[in-house]
Amino acid sequence: MSLARGSKGRERAITALVVVVVLALWYVAAWLVQSGDDPLASSKLPYPHGVVDQILDNRSVLAEAGWTTLKQALIGFAVGALVGVLSSIVMAQAAWLEAGVIPFILAAQMIPMIALVPIAQNVFKNDDVTRIFIAAFITFFSVSVAALRGLKAAPPPAYELMGSYNAGRAKTLRYLRLPAAVPMLFTGLRIAAPLSLVGSVLVDMSGAQSGLGYLMLAAITFGSEGAAVLWGAMVVLLLLGFLMAQAVVLVERVVAPWQPNLRHGSA
Amino acid sequence: MTEAATAPHDHGPVQTRPTAVAVQGVSKTFGNGASAVTALDDVSFDVPQGSFLSVLGPSGCGKSTLMRLIAGLQPVSSGSIEVAGGTPDAKRRAREFGIVFQQPILFDWRTVEQNVALPLQIMGRPKGEARERVEHLLELVGLSDFRKHRPWQLSGGMQQRVSIARALTFAPPFLLMDEPFGALDMMTRERMQTELLSIWASNPGTTVVFITHSISEAVLLSDRVVVMSARPGRVLRVIDVDLPRPRTDETRDSKEFVDVEAEIRQLIFSQEHR
Repeated sequence: MSLARGSKGRERAITALVVVVVLALWYVAAWLVQSGDDPLASSKLPYPHGVVDQILDNRSVLAEAGWTTLKQALIGFAVGALVGVLSSIVMAQAAWLEAGVIPFILAAQMIPMIALVPIAQNVFKNDDVTRIFIAAFITFFSVSVAALRGLKAAPPPAYELMGSYNAGRAKTLRYLRLPAAVPMLFTGLRIAAPLSLVGSVLVDMSGAQSGLGYLMLAAITFGSEGAAVLWGAMVVLLLLGFLMAQAVVLVERVVAPWQPNLRHGSA
Repeated sequence: MTEAATAPHDHGPVQTRPTAVAVQGVSKTFGNGASAVTALDDVSFDVPQGSFLSVLGPSGCGKSTLMRLIAGLQPVSSGSIEVAGGTPDAKRRAREFGIVFQQPILFDWRTVEQNVALPLQIMGRPKGEARERVEHLLELVGLSDFRKHRPWQLSGGMQQRVSIARALTFAPPFLLMDEPFGALDMMTRERMQTELLSIWASNPGTTVVFITHSISEAVLLSDRVVVMSARPGRVLRVIDVDLPRPRTDETRDSKEFVDVEAEIRQLIFSQEHR
């Protein structure tokens, strides 16, 4: 117990140390870039405190753009996760279903997002719907593949046990396969959460008229001050992605606290 | 000890009881063609009603497969198994088998009492009845104080006791156990053996088929021991053990116990060196 707490504290210390080191490197790099005789140097890499200033100065704009991007990413994430779980349940019913569907999932995953976004925009003719679609599309892969693996995680004797209770397909799914899939499902969700946000930003950048990505593109054309806004938008994006991933972790702790890595007081 | 037992014990001599499970000329082959493996070859024996039968053999003799055939989890390749006048599969559908595996196979997402309640929940038994039944069984296996614990908070022996309680919650007429104590240390194992006997004694009428590779375990627990050889699994001999019941730790030291053990050991070793 004390050992676990100690290692937890050490983990936090390491995380803090990494943040400090990255910030220090940023300062050094910005100083090196700006100490040259390039007049546009500060627009290439501003100092961190300059970025923080810009974030504070533009907080209402950033908040609005961030919310636009985040909201659609969240909706897309939820839709993609739901479709992913449902499709994994279907695939888990028979080997031939899995063999038939998995190639399409892999093939779809190979489509470059940068090619898919304009297609989706043409189809939906609506930035919000396109953001939701792209975020859902990205989420779907991680979640369906991870959940499918989770649905197959129970050991063979567990199925024999269900057989001895004469539990049918539905009850085996409900009492054995779904709960056993929860850890893998959350692994998929954790990976998908920040990616769904990136998908949403990608739509912002591809001709949408709002959102963090739109703000980034717009900022680039505004000279040295704009660069700080661009970096500010990226920091906001990073924070949002981090928060989404953390939210997933938090939900996992509440929903499935029984997993080996979340346990306390194991014998 | 001979095959013709003389002294009757608490349950009455096994020979006079009706047959609950009849295994006749059963063979089981996995795969086909050149890669086919014969796991069981012409296996026959009877399990008397309400008795404790052990299938004893080295690893690879197909004894676990045999249990799965009796449980209706796999079909036989040839021969027949009759369970209380029906097929194994029909009896499985009628939920007449409680199974305990070598690994306890408890669900981490359920507490101890929820694990024990699992079969009742799946079978849709009323909640009140289920609660009573679970309480009774946890008391029987001595885990009443651990009902709210999670499986991983228990020791290996306690986990296996939960697994036994779960197998008995729905009061199945047959208890099938596949090396249930195989993963436990020697001391825990011996304690579990005597505990199993007292659990069995409080569930009269339950017919037990117990798979093991421990000679002493088979002798201590059983009314009848089916001794098997390995690859392919064949029956070497069926031996009735009529040591008096209740059997306790003292039984292990008795001359009769040691004699039966020696007889079985010689039987197995004479096969190996043949």
